[in-house]
Amino acid sequence: MDTKLNSLIDKALSRRNFLAGAGSVAAVGLMAGCADDNTTTTGSSGGTGAYTDADVLNFALNLEYLEAQFYLYAATGHGLEATDTAAPSGYTGTYTMGSVTTNSSVTQVGGGITAAQQQIVNEIAYEEQEHVRFLRSALGAAAVPMPAIDLTFFAPLASLASGGALTAFSPFASFDAFLVGAFIFEDVGVTAYAGAAPLISAAGVASGYLTAAAGILAVEAYHAAYIRTAITAGAIQAGSAAAFPYITYANDVATLRNTLTVGNNSAAPGMGTGNTGAPGSSTSCEVPLALPTGLTTASSIVAADSKTAIGFARTVNQVHHIVYGSATVGAKSGGFFPNGTNSIFATTTA
Amino acid sequence: MANLETQILDDIIIKGRRKLLTLGSAALAGLVLGGTKEAKAATAYTDADILNFALNLEYLEANFYYLSAFGCTIDKPNAAAIAAGAPSAGIPITGSVGTAGTVSGGSKIPFATTEVASYAIETAIEEGKHVLFLQSALSTAAVAQPAINLGTSWQMLGSALTPAAPTFTPYDTEGDFLLGAYVFEDVGVTAYHGAASLLTVSGNLSAAAGILSVEAYHAGLIRTTINALDPSASTLVPVTNAISNLRAALAVQVAAATTYDPSPDDFGLATFQVSLAGGSNVTATRIVDASADNSKTFAIATARTTSQVLNIVTGGSSFKNGALTSPATGVFFPAGMNAGPNGFK
Repeated sequence: MDTKLNSLIDKALSRRNFLAGAGSVAAVGLMAGCADDNTTTTGSSGGTGAYTDADVLNFALNLEYLEAQFYLYAATGHGLEATDTAAPSGYTGTYTMGSVTTNSSVTQVGGGITAAQQQIVNEIAYEEQEHVRFLRSALGAAAVPMPAIDLTFFAPLASLASGGALTAFSPFASFDAFLVGAFIFEDVGVTAYAGAAPLISAAGVASGYLTAAAGILAVEAYHAAYIRTAITAGAIQAGSAAAFPYITYANDVATLRNTLTVGNNSAAPGMGTGNTGAPGSSTSCEVPLALPTGLTTASSIVAADSKTAIGFARTVNQVHHIVYGSATVGAKSGGFFPNGTNSIFATTTA
Repeated sequence: MANLETQILDDIIIKGRRKLLTLGSAALAGLVLGGTKEAKAATAYTDADILNFALNLEYLEANFYYLSAFGCTIDKPNAAAIAAGAPSAGIPITGSVGTAGTVSGGSKIPFATTEVASYAIETAIEEGKHVLFLQSALSTAAVAQPAINLGTSWQMLGSALTPAAPTFTPYDTEGDFLLGAYVFEDVGVTAYHGAASLLTVSGNLSAAAGILSVEAYHAGLIRTTINALDPSASTLVPVTNAISNLRAALAVQVAAATTYDPSPDDFGLATFQVSLAGGSNVTATRIVDASADNSKTFAIATARTTSQVLNIVTGGSSFKNGALTSPATGVFFPAGMNAGPNGFK
């Protein structure tokens, strides 16, 4: 503990000197300066070897690239600007920028989307775009460029989730379909940040990374709540799951996510609280949406542990299995990331 | 800005790790993000203090939702609550620290829709589980339920809004209930967010992150449903703006004592303009309670200190004559929070 304390104080001293010498420092420059801390702070988590705070933030950045591209295409018909995806100035890493795979189905959400519905797509797109910008700013020259992203993976994923019933699903076809596409990501984003937060080093906590990660976690949960509420309300208003099949599609996705991560439960405290049982059971990270009837039954908006009502956490491996669409241990690419993520966690180890 | 940070760093260097974790993290986070509205707790709280602070808030939230959904307080066995997942003996309200206070006011909402009824039931059960979890995590350090005002507190709060709503009560209609819930949920998010970096035990951090996510799910649920009930933004939405403005004012009041950026940290449901890739400026909803000023926040939710949260839930009682005061009493906590030896201010 004393060693750690001394190291923290040393860092504070060096940072203090840096600031005192720098005078007024622009926010971006300040954050780039913070990234220096990462090169000396390492930790380890079972199976993933040593990693830095920059590795943890870059893992999150990969997910934000994916989310931002999906929501921006849904909102506007095009994706992130090149300045938000290329390797930053001074980048010395080995990852290269990938491209976004689209096809004719990848467009602004159609199907008679209303003005009010367009506004929520706009909001989420904006917030995910800003998360990309925030993480790139916080990482400075250490930010990885965008990996290759495949936005046509929704159709094969939906086919897998529905047992072959859905053959040409597109989240861009209508607002209701968009909700299912968003459902794929949002609960995963929440659990990914919850799992990543404790990986941040003490120095990273002092540098504000934990507070930033917790702030993004909260935003992802607001998004997840919107999506789950909108799907639930749609089913209540339609009167049945048959009349509003999107609730079934979403729950099929939850089941698939569960299947993709079975057996990857981590023994680390607070990490991956389950994933060995069926969604909704006490040993799963998934809570399916409910269709309440009448005035005395509960909804199931929140995805949380059934005993403690505490939100779930997923490990970096569990998150990768989901976005790769593969339960195979050792999988290092696939699904939404055809060349893998630009992350030291890209190859699943459990 | 650099001056303030060097000042804080001096403090850190002098006072060592404990100070770093209580003062440094929140304050530095604000600076890393470009100097937002992070204030700081001057007191060195233990993990137990932080969790007990959260437990006081959970007692408040759980009782509000139990009264709204089931018509009873959390300690009373209630058939409807038990059917939805509440413990059959009710939730204990006694603790090793402090004496159990009573809850005044509150009554069951005359539900009209499956949506709002089911959301209220779900939220009540989840907030009750948070009380049970924190009691269990704190064990013999857990505080008892403080005295809670869920009756006349709403009129005090309503009177402080601009425009004033001195007869406001959340128990008459579903819309009013959602506004009552709105008062609490975003505050819960900012409180757990602010607490996260103060916790020193990894397991506590994981739990706090997990509860933070649930509070944000609740907040997103409430904000989504208010938008759905008021599509023309003419009845409920203006009240959310007034509530957010009041919360921001109360939070800034505390921050002002420590010379932080006084810009608002809280946003109602009025739509706003955003700039998306490609340069298009478009109108967006505001389901997420985060600033649109991307030079400062990058769409990241706000963290508040215990002092700021306390000032909000006591209606400005924790900050008097230019200084933090203890105990803070008022509005929802007429006798203040139940606290351990370090108190809260």
